[in-house]
Amino acid sequence: MKILDKLAVLDRRIIYLLVGLAVIIPMLIPLGLPVDITRPVQNVYDKIESLTEGSIVLMSTDYDPGSEAELYPATEAIIEHCFRRNLKIYMMGLWPAGSALGERALDTLARVHGKRYGSDYVNVGYRPGGAVMLLSLGRNFRDVIRVDYTGRPIDSLELGRQVRSARDITLVMTLSAGDPGVIHWVQYFHARFGTPICAATTAIMAPRQYPYMNSGQLVGLLGGLKGAAEYETLVKRRGRGLTGMDSQSIVHVLLVLFIILGNVILINQKRKKSAPGAG
Amino acid sequence: MKRTIPLVIVFTCGFFMLTAFFIPVRFVQDMSQMLQNWYVGVAAFFVFIGIINLIKINLEKIQRKLRDWQYSFILLGFLFFMMFAGFVLRGHTAGPVFQYMFNYFYTPCSATMFSLLAFFVASASFRAFRAKTPEATLLLIAAVIVMIGRIPVGYSIWHGFPSLVEWIMTVPNTAANRGIIFGINLGLISMALRVLLGIERSYMGGGD
Repeated sequence: MKILDKLAVLDRRIIYLLVGLAVIIPMLIPLGLPVDITRPVQNVYDKIESLTEGSIVLMSTDYDPGSEAELYPATEAIIEHCFRRNLKIYMMGLWPAGSALGERALDTLARVHGKRYGSDYVNVGYRPGGAVMLLSLGRNFRDVIRVDYTGRPIDSLELGRQVRSARDITLVMTLSAGDPGVIHWVQYFHARFGTPICAATTAIMAPRQYPYMNSGQLVGLLGGLKGAAEYETLVKRRGRGLTGMDSQSIVHVLLVLFIILGNVILINQKRKKSAPGAG
Repeated sequence: MKRTIPLVIVFTCGFFMLTAFFIPVRFVQDMSQMLQNWYVGVAAFFVFIGIINLIKINLEKIQRKLRDWQYSFILLGFLFFMMFAGFVLRGHTAGPVFQYMFNYFYTPCSATMFSLLAFFVASASFRAFRAKTPEATLLLIAAVIVMIGRIPVGYSIWHGFPSLVEWIMTVPNTAANRGIIFGINLGLISMALRVLLGIERSYMGGGD
């Protein structure tokens, strides 16, 4: 078929244009498709719901702006849930840029919920050292953390004084885009100190975490933008996760169509080669 | 001597840290903690090594007017300006200038670079994702099911799609990933023993 021969040499710029339109159009004309809730996300929600008021949640923003599109909506949704439940947030990061992104989310939502820095939440910023740092941290926070994100002594803050070791942390919530990240929290912090771990990861990392969920080492998982959208649905927050799902839906459908079309072209080419008198 | 001392340090510290995990004596645990704290301090210096290397490479590009040397000029200019904003200006890294640069320059540019992957994946899905073998066909079918099942459109088409995707993630995916994790960690143990025993010496550089 001539049309298939033409499609086989399709200019990739047309593919790029179609993807661009698939992203932009649903942002301008929202589809409002319902988002189903999966068990891993429900587990994270149920765990945070089960915490008593005043419990301390350690949030680790282990990502950079490259993964901001997937993980920042999850950051906001988790912080919103924690503040609504009157949980305290102790934020840190294993990646340098993660703390700044986390700080932005904390500041914005703290103002909305009337939370006070120092007593309801703190941000101690980036801590280098990966897995080895986590081992030191769990045993004695003071060995690793002396000042907060702005350089203020940690002991001058009420929440800073309350956290001395892993025993003072009720839950670790890691938002992770790679290494160091969720695997280090599970293999070192949870394995050594027993603190429950929940995670939000990029979609590409999510399948890798299922063995840890099945063994109970990870309580639950928000995978990619879909995970963030599910969590926003649970906490009843219209954020970038839900907004982005329309675009992601259309792009996924487009990619599947590309795969099917590519394979139809392959079959057509094979048929031509094996036809009598071909070549 | 030059090669023996590092080997002795690696052997002593490595095996001490390994055995400290199993010895619940206060002195041993405190020593282990001290070594870990030293590591954290040293790790912070890795950033400086990276910055110095970056400056060295780009200065050389500018000096020798290699291809695209103008971009090195821009890179170094922004690098020094952000360092100046973070170390000198009011508020340091929490100050308005640094935060503005981070929020309105670094974050959008970094997110954009990563977002380009979407276009390359789309092009690859058309040109390269071909069912040429039975294994490739199985992979493609699983990929299509997961891609459709993980979006609201999939749920709207058939409510059973998310459950099917969860089964793929929980059973075959978990089995395969467990095998991979075991393999990786056995390899890590083997490599760690080789380094501790001085069999693997590539970290010292300069050949054997």
